[in-house]
Amino acid sequence: MVRRDSSSTRDASIGRRPFLATAGASVAGIAALAGCLGDDDDDGSDGGSGGSGDDGSGAVANADPLGEPVDSEAVTWDDLGDLEGELTIYSGRTRDQIDPVFVALEEEYDGLTLNVDYDDNDVQVNQILQEGEATPADLMYSQDPGALGELERNGAVQALPGDVVDAVPESYREPDGYWTGVTGRVRAVQYNSERLAEETEFDSGDDLPTDIFEYAEDERFEGIISTRPNSGTFRGFIQAMVELEGEEATREWVRAMVEDQDVQLFSGGSDQAEAVNRGGDDDPIVALGNSYYAARIINEDPDAPIRATFTENDPGCLFSIAGVGVMNDVEDPELVAEFVRHLLAAEGQEFMMDANGEYPVVEGVDYVGDLPDLEDLNPPTFDLSDFDMDLQEAQDLLTEEGMTV
Amino acid sequence: MKSPTTYFDSLPRVAALQRRIADADRSMVALGALSAFVAFLVVLPMFWLVWQAATVEASRAYDLVVSSQTAWITLNSIGLMVFVTAFSILLGVPLAVLTSRTDLPYPRFWTVVAALPLVIPSYIGAIAFVGMFGPGGEVDSLFGMTIPRVHGLWGAVFIITLYTYPYVFLTTRAALLSMDRSIVDAARTLNAGPLEAFRRVTFPQIRPGIAAGALLAGLYAISDFGTPAFMNANVFTSTIYWEFSGFAVEYAALLALQLIAIVAIVLVIEAGIGRDEDVGGGSGRGSVVRLGPWKWPAMGFVSGLGIVTLVVPVAIFTNWLLVSEGDPLPSLEFEWTYAFNSAYLALLAALVACAFALPVAYYSARANSVVSRVLERATYLGFAVPGVVIGLALVFLGTRTLPSIYRQGVWLLIFGYVVRFLPQAVGTVRSSVLQVGDETIEAARTLNAGPYQTFRRITLPLIMPGVVVGGILVFLTTMKELPITLMLRPIGMETLVSIIWGAQDALAYRYAAVPALLLILISGVSMLVLLRQEGGRLG
Repeated sequence: MVRRDSSSTRDASIGRRPFLATAGASVAGIAALAGCLGDDDDDGSDGGSGGSGDDGSGAVANADPLGEPVDSEAVTWDDLGDLEGELTIYSGRTRDQIDPVFVALEEEYDGLTLNVDYDDNDVQVNQILQEGEATPADLMYSQDPGALGELERNGAVQALPGDVVDAVPESYREPDGYWTGVTGRVRAVQYNSERLAEETEFDSGDDLPTDIFEYAEDERFEGIISTRPNSGTFRGFIQAMVELEGEEATREWVRAMVEDQDVQLFSGGSDQAEAVNRGGDDDPIVALGNSYYAARIINEDPDAPIRATFTENDPGCLFSIAGVGVMNDVEDPELVAEFVRHLLAAEGQEFMMDANGEYPVVEGVDYVGDLPDLEDLNPPTFDLSDFDMDLQEAQDLLTEEGMTV
Repeated sequence: MKSPTTYFDSLPRVAALQRRIADADRSMVALGALSAFVAFLVVLPMFWLVWQAATVEASRAYDLVVSSQTAWITLNSIGLMVFVTAFSILLGVPLAVLTSRTDLPYPRFWTVVAALPLVIPSYIGAIAFVGMFGPGGEVDSLFGMTIPRVHGLWGAVFIITLYTYPYVFLTTRAALLSMDRSIVDAARTLNAGPLEAFRRVTFPQIRPGIAAGALLAGLYAISDFGTPAFMNANVFTSTIYWEFSGFAVEYAALLALQLIAIVAIVLVIEAGIGRDEDVGGGSGRGSVVRLGPWKWPAMGFVSGLGIVTLVVPVAIFTNWLLVSEGDPLPSLEFEWTYAFNSAYLALLAALVACAFALPVAYYSARANSVVSRVLERATYLGFAVPGVVIGLALVFLGTRTLPSIYRQGVWLLIFGYVVRFLPQAVGTVRSSVLQVGDETIEAARTLNAGPYQTFRRITLPLIMPGVVVGGILVFLTTMKELPITLMLRPIGMETLVSIIWGAQDALAYRYAAVPALLLILISGVSMLVLLRQEGGRLG
């Protein structure tokens, strides 16, 4: 499955390097993948979905696999049952992140229709909670675990089948299987490589600290650093920091960022990355956020100066997931369950890796791409569904310390 | 002894007149009931806010409402509203005079150009403006020229004004077209200079029109989230979204109610300014101001405005279309149905909003009672609440009351647009009703016309410019509406703006180029058609 050499060019001694997105490689990657998907398996309909829904319970957890079950070794789409019918998906992810895999699935299965509703991640969650039992959605595909956790706490999602739950390591899903991560990413430090060299005391991205606390303490970041405090992963990052370093240290970090570093705050991840990339005099040079924004910009314009680097083994490189939860009342539990299996199968994982530069959550799928190996970054692991500090408390902490947008 | 009543009863003509007055009273009562029903419908979503906010525990509610941060953002929001309103008047009124009272060539074209910024979502305008003129932007990298950073509260004031002044422009223009121009000439013959004639004769006549547009501009400013967020200006909507994004909907609802309270105060104050004595009107032709050589700078000014607000966003996106090396994103690929959907939704919303606005505006202008004013003002509340909050209320109400149409057709969505944008039609229709003199209507009545006939044959043609402009306002703003569209559209339905948003969200601006261009073209052509209608009536 894996076509590209992953690490031969990596500076392994540092264990991290400015990453150049998946640009250029990704089209070829998808073409290569298309090759291995070539053998049409429309004839393999023995798994069929004809018998679905006969008990009418809507219990996805009891939906038997239509083909092979998924496992941590990564089965292929050929091994799985066919997808036939309609699914309604509320997506908090953007189109570039999920289009490739959804398009591939619809091409693979003539009988499959995916109705995808795009909106902001937080809007989708709030909307599902207001819709209650009347929600037209079968699944929510969320950008971050906090949003899925909110659905789970409000009883809006149901348990996933046992094979799906077992295929994903426990730290990447809800322990009881009420939601699961599909892909993972680590929080990053984005920077403008040109301005960093010309206007700061750092020579290059390699000089940037690997400890997230230095970003709040080092005077060289004063006035040039930014972050986006209203994102799901930023709140997750705060929750993780509280868990690892305690509330006092976290408050001090936030306070120092606001008062000492005069951190610029953005309310949109794209806006932040674009400001870093544009590089006007008042724009930030260094920005804490998700690396995929930088990847998108480089994807559009390979000459763009934005780069990303990572901290190591601290909350700054929090490993977070994007994942799915299944609504309580779905029409065709077997179809929904089988769809989730497709996301966790080798091709699903690889499409995501390719389109987003994200890490697979299934152990049997090797990571290929330009990001550092997870072993090198060594991000701390958490139960993403159950931080010591809950989301509202993290939100309040930020409000109290003045880090709001 | 005969009572005066029976004495009058003996006179058949007086009795007929009394009957007509009774008729008129009955029709006013019916109109009042209709207004109340419309007001109830559009205020309905606010009850959800109250219900949500009521679940917030008292101490928390107190903290939220009276924190020092709240005081600060309240000030910022009021500042944003005041300055956007003031600058919109400074920009909109002269443009209205220029396009309707001077011999500017191609007045209809310039009218459309000056009105079109209303179809561009202001945050898209902000992104494009900064990308073009800001430090590090296109102009900077091509010519090394840059303007001071457009940022913070002043940045938000600047950008929002550029995209909301058309409210004032259009309502003022409608008022100018409805007023009797011959009186200006009369003033001039009495040796009043042009400025004095404007101040003493024209201005009092068009004041309700200006006030109607200014109120809309101000309320838009206070309810906007995207642009202040982009500019990093801390305003009331920021806090609402902060709670919303943390899934604390009940806190967001409480803060939204607080915003409504502020807006209610504004509405009461404005009711004082905008209150008028019937100002009379007519469609008499008067002479126009000759611009002479000044027509060149005048056209240059409107062109410049059009370039900054309309051409720049399209140019920025088109540039991406040409240089981008990104992977294709199939779901953002342009389809003509997107353009059709946008125009269709906007047209339906405009028609429904005008139908809803007529009784409310007419009743409020003619009854001029406290009740009628309260009903009219109530329709403004939905305009002042950020779209996502109204959207969430409609999600709740829609799934609980009419699950069969929830995300199944466009009607709940259209209702959402009406809740948001009804005041745009109410304001313009009302100010044009005010310009219809009582004596005109009484004259019709004495000619034995019933209330309905009077309305259809006399009042409606006279207020048509106001109705047309109300329809245009709703049409244009519906074309650009985003949060409610995304929440309530039938699943999978795309519009021009949903694609522009999708492109921006995925940082693939190239896919925004065609939709943005079409957004402007379709809106422009629709406006021309509507303006022709208005011209025909006036001609």
